[in-house]
Amino acid sequence: MPTTPSAQGSGNQNTATSQQIVNNFRELIKDPKSLDEAVNYMYQTLLDDAVAGIFIETHHLRKTGNLSALDGVAEDSTYRICEMPNLDIFGISTAKKPMDCTCPNCDRLVAAARFAPHLEKCMGMGRISSRIASRRLATKEGSSAALLHSGGNAGGTDDEDDVDWSSDKRKKKSSQSSRNNGSKKNNGKTF
Amino acid sequence: MTVSNTVDQYTVLSGDRSKIKDLLCNRLTECGWRDEVRLLCRTILLEKGTGNSFTVEQLITEVTPKARTLVPDAVKKELLMKIRTILTENESEIEDAEEP
Repeated sequence: MPTTPSAQGSGNQNTATSQQIVNNFRELIKDPKSLDEAVNYMYQTLLDDAVAGIFIETHHLRKTGNLSALDGVAEDSTYRICEMPNLDIFGISTAKKPMDCTCPNCDRLVAAARFAPHLEKCMGMGRISSRIASRRLATKEGSSAALLHSGGNAGGTDDEDDVDWSSDKRKKKSSQSSRNNGSKKNNGKTF
Repeated sequence: MTVSNTVDQYTVLSGDRSKIKDLLCNRLTECGWRDEVRLLCRTILLEKGTGNSFTVEQLITEVTPKARTLVPDAVKKELLMKIRTILTENESEIEDAEEP
C-alpha cells in the first residue's frame, strides 16, 4: 500500500504544524499590543462574517422573490386599524349616540326601541290603547270621570306616562330622587 | 506569520472561533442589530431598483461600513472583552498543561 506512508507523513506534518500554530499564538498573546490587535481582528472578522450572512440571506430572498412577498401588498387606508382614544378600531366614536325618534303624532322624542309601541298607543291603534279606551269612556260615561281617575292608567295620566317613553333614564332617576328628597324633607318638617 | 493568520489558524484549531461566533450572533440578534442591517439591505435594494445588475459584492461594499457603525457600543465592548478572555484563557490552559 503506497498511500499509508504518505498519509502518516501528512498526519505527522499536521501535528507539527498545529504545535507550531500554538507556539506562534502563545508568542503573540504575550505581547499586550498584539493581543489587542488580535482581539480587534477577531471582532472585525466575525462581524464581517455576520454581515455577509445577512447579505446572502437577503440576496437569496430577493432572487427567489420572497423579498417582495415579505413586504406584502400595501394595505388600504380605509381598512387600517385606528388607534385613537375614544374611537373604536374603525375610527368611529365609542360615545353612545342618542337613538331617539320624533313621534310624528305628538312630536315627542321617543327611544328607538320604544317607538313602535309608543306610536301604536299614541295613534290609538290596537285593543289596549289607553287613548281609545279613555275616549270611549269619556264619550259614553262622561259623568263617571271620578271613576276614570281612580282607574289609574287611563285618561289624564296618559301624557305623564309618555314622559317615561323617552330614553333619558337620568331624568327619571333625578325626578325619582327629587321626589324622595321631597318626601324626606316633608317628613322632616312634620316630625 | 502575520497576526491575522496566526489568530485564524489557532482559533479554528482550538474551536474557539465557533464559540465566539455563536456568542457574537446571539448578542447581535438580541440587540436588534440583525434586523437593522436587514432593513438597511432592503432599503438599498429598493433604491437600486429592480435591475439585476446589483450584486452581493456591491451590496457588501456599500453596507459593511454602515453595519459596523450600527453595532451598539455596549455590545462591542462586551464582545471585545469576551474574545480577550477566551484568548488569554487558552494561553493559561496551555501553560497549565505544559507545567506538569
